[in-house]
Parts: sequence; structure tokens; C-alpha cells
Amino acid sequence: MERTKGYPAALDKKLQDTRLYLEDSNPEFTKSVKAISRTNAHMCYQCGTCTGSCPSAPRSTYRIRKFMRRAVLGLENETLIDPDLWLCTTCYSCSDRCPRDIIPTDVIMAMRNLAFKRDIVPVNFLKTVTAIYASGHGVPNNDVNRAAREKIGLSRDPPTTHTYAEYMPGIRKILDHYKLKANADRIIKEREG
Amino acid sequence: MSESGAKHKFAFYLGCIAPNRYPGVESASIKAMKKLGVELVPLKGASCCPAPGAFGSIDLNVFYAMAARNLVLAEQMKMDIALVCNGCYKSIWEVNHKLKHNKDLRDNVNEVLKEVDMEYKGTINVYHTAELLYNDKFIGVDKVRDSVTNPLTGARIAVHYGCHLVKPHKDREFEKEVMLNTEHPTWMEELVAALGATPVEYRNKMQCCGAGGGVRGYDIVHALDITNEKLINLQEEKVDALTDICPFCQLQFDRGQIEIQEKFGVSYNLPVLHFAELLGLAQGMSPQDLGLDLHGISCESFLQKVL
Repeated sequence: MERTKGYPAALDKKLQDTRLYLEDSNPEFTKSVKAISRTNAHMCYQCGTCTGSCPSAPRSTYRIRKFMRRAVLGLENETLIDPDLWLCTTCYSCSDRCPRDIIPTDVIMAMRNLAFKRDIVPVNFLKTVTAIYASGHGVPNNDVNRAAREKIGLSRDPPTTHTYAEYMPGIRKILDHYKLKANADRIIKEREG
Repeated sequence: MSESGAKHKFAFYLGCIAPNRYPGVESASIKAMKKLGVELVPLKGASCCPAPGAFGSIDLNVFYAMAARNLVLAEQMKMDIALVCNGCYKSIWEVNHKLKHNKDLRDNVNEVLKEVDMEYKGTINVYHTAELLYNDKFIGVDKVRDSVTNPLTGARIAVHYGCHLVKPHKDREFEKEVMLNTEHPTWMEELVAALGATPVEYRNKMQCCGAGGGVRGYDIVHALDITNEKLINLQEEKVDALTDICPFCQLQFDRGQIEIQEKFGVSYNLPVLHFAELLGLAQGMSPQDLGLDLHGISCESFLQKVL
């Protein structure tokens, strides 16, 4: 059976007691997380309901409670370089059960936004961007599906950007406004050559 | 009443996976909803919602702007949106909701949309077709039951609700209060029963399919391990099929079973059908009309029970 990324080899190290030093803390990080997530991450009292509700927790070292603590303590670096940041499926179970009415999932999303600003992002996320830049669809049509659509009485391409390509320049303009395509291309090239 | 005789008209937002991987969901939705007095009009030029996992993680500002563009297309048609995917619901419904209630976000989005001669005004609402089917203001369970010509009698069907239609419930606004129960909802089971099938409960029903948040692309084995846990729980109840209301969840359960077979060496052969496909069958559409042969896992065992 295949193992999930890097586990459990890295487990011991991750679960060791760690010391925190003032210079590890950036209060601006706490503020940025709050501003982007629009939820009161600093209200977390570490009950762990979030981790207990998390489908990713039982099969990895991802602990959303730990990320909530890092948000409060402003532990920017260790948050943004932790590969577990990308194991949240965004199911929002933690958010439905949080007794402090925080939305921890949105805290994770805010942290990912901040990671991206440092070019920290898994390549598959960027490939969705380049797919949409090319065709408007993250999962584009293909010939097998075109034939199947025709067979069941639908147009070969759906009445989206696939049929109406004249809408593509507008979409590209929006993505270019945020330089998203240029950044995606650059990062993909750096990683994959 | 509109010219076509339909009581309600919606701009039909397709998303990506339904039209481009499970086109039966698109055609069944249009035909089945028409029989129920709801006309779904193509939303021309719509794009990806955009994918909430990928875009939301990279830059929420782009996520808002791209979703707003799709919303503006429907505003220009002066029509509310109906859609068939929980992921799309997260992008389209939630961004609509956020932009309506937050002037700062709306202003930011409109600054960008100005470059493409668009303006988000906040004049329409967004609905999932499952919600339209359940809510008597639009259709309701009784009318769904009355539309059935080929009851799915004898089939044991479990429901996968998925996440983003109902969660986070504190941000959602449904007219039917019952839809806000995200610990143990049963409204989809009512719809399954309306088709003549037997709804089946199973352990940890509300668990995620595992695919969301970009995890399917980032760590496929991790995502499949979550899916596998659900499949184990479903197998214990000996269900004939799993129904979903999200093509992305459907992809994860359907194509995912093939990947689970390859990576974990376990096979379940559990047919996975979007509720629109089930509804189409129950209203007399053929498996060929629904393109069920495109499914990764054969629906044959289930079809033999109900046809």
C-alpha cells in the first residue's frame, strides 16, 4: 500500500516539544490572517474540536488546532513553510462545530494566500489557473466527452467559454490584473524547468 | 408564467465537471426540471466558478472577481442562477453573498470588472437544483414524487451530501431551516424516497469525499484514503448505489474507486450517480440518454435492480 506524502517518517520530529522565542513571532501575521480570513482567529481557546472533526487529521500530521495556535502567536515562518498547510480539504466540519464561532477553514485559506505571496504553493493549484487562462475551464472538455455529449443530444461543447470564446479576453484581463498567469508560469517553470 | 409555460426560469450555471465529464447530469437536469415546471436557460460565456480550492487558496481577490464575472452574466439576463455542483455553489453563492454584504469587497471587485466593462450590482440570487427540488416554493418533494414514472423500487441508495452546499452553516441562508442541519440532515433522503428507492443511512455520512481544497491534486493518496473510509462505511450497509449532488464528489467516488483499486488493491464496484441522473431514470430517461456508460464504475448492477 502506498503511503501519503512523507508520513509517518516525519512524525517523531513533528511531535517533539518545541520552544518558542519572541523573534519567531510576527504580530502583523496575526493581523493579516484576521483581515484576509474575516474571522476572529485570535478568539481560539485551543479546545481541539476542530482537529477532532477533521478528516485529514487521522491520516496525517496535519493539526488544524496547531495552525490556529500559530495564528494567535504570529508564528509566520513555521506556518507558511509547513507542507501540512495544504492538506485541508476545506470541508468546514471544524467551522460548523467551533464553540468560539470561528471559521478555522478560512484561517487556513488566509494562510495559503499569504504563503502564495512568497511563492509557496503546490504546483497543482497553479495548473488550474493556467487551464482556466487557456479555456475558461479548470476541467476542460475532451474528444471522448464531445462525442458522448453529441450522442445524448447536447451540443459538442457546453454553452460556456468553450462555445463562446469571445468571452476569453475578459477572463484573461481579470487574471492578468492580478498577474496570476505570469506568476503561475514563472513558479511552474522554476519547479519543473 | 413564461412563454415556454415554465413556472420558474433560471440561468443554468454548468461549471466544469458536469458538462465536461458527466454530461448526463447536464441533460438530465434540463429535462427533469422542465417536467417539474423549471426552465434552465444556458448562461452563455460562463467560465469555471472558479475552483474554490485552487483559487481561494492562491488569492481570494481573484476568486471573488472571477466568480463575480459569472454572476454579472446572470445579472445581465435578469435571472437567478441554478447550478448542480457544491463546489460551484461555494464560489457562486458565497461570493454573491459576500459581495452583497461587504461594500469594501464589492468596490474592489468592481474596480477590476470595470476593465472588462462589467459591474456587479447584487441583483440576483443563487440556488442549487437540489434546493429547488426540496423547496415547495419552487418544486417540493410531493411534485418530485408525482413526476416519477419508473419508481426505483427495491434499490438501497445512500446519500453523499458533500460539504459546500451546506457548510459552513453559519454563513448559509436556506429558506428551509432543515437544510441547516449539517450534523445529520435527512432532506436528501426524503428526495431519494420520493423516487421510490430506499434511502440508507451509514456511519459518518457527513464526512468529506476527500477531494476538496486542492488535496486531490496535492496528495492523491491522502484524498483517496478519505474516500476509502467512506466506501468502507457504505459497503457495510450493502447499498446498491451512492447518490451525490456534486460532480466533483462524484468524480472522487467514481473515478476514485478505480484509483483506489490501483493504489490500495481494494475494489467496491459501487455505482455513483448524481441525483439529477437518478431523477432522470425515475422519470423514464434511459441509461443511454444519461450517458451512464461514461461513468468509471459500471452502473449495470444498479440498473438491473431498477429497470
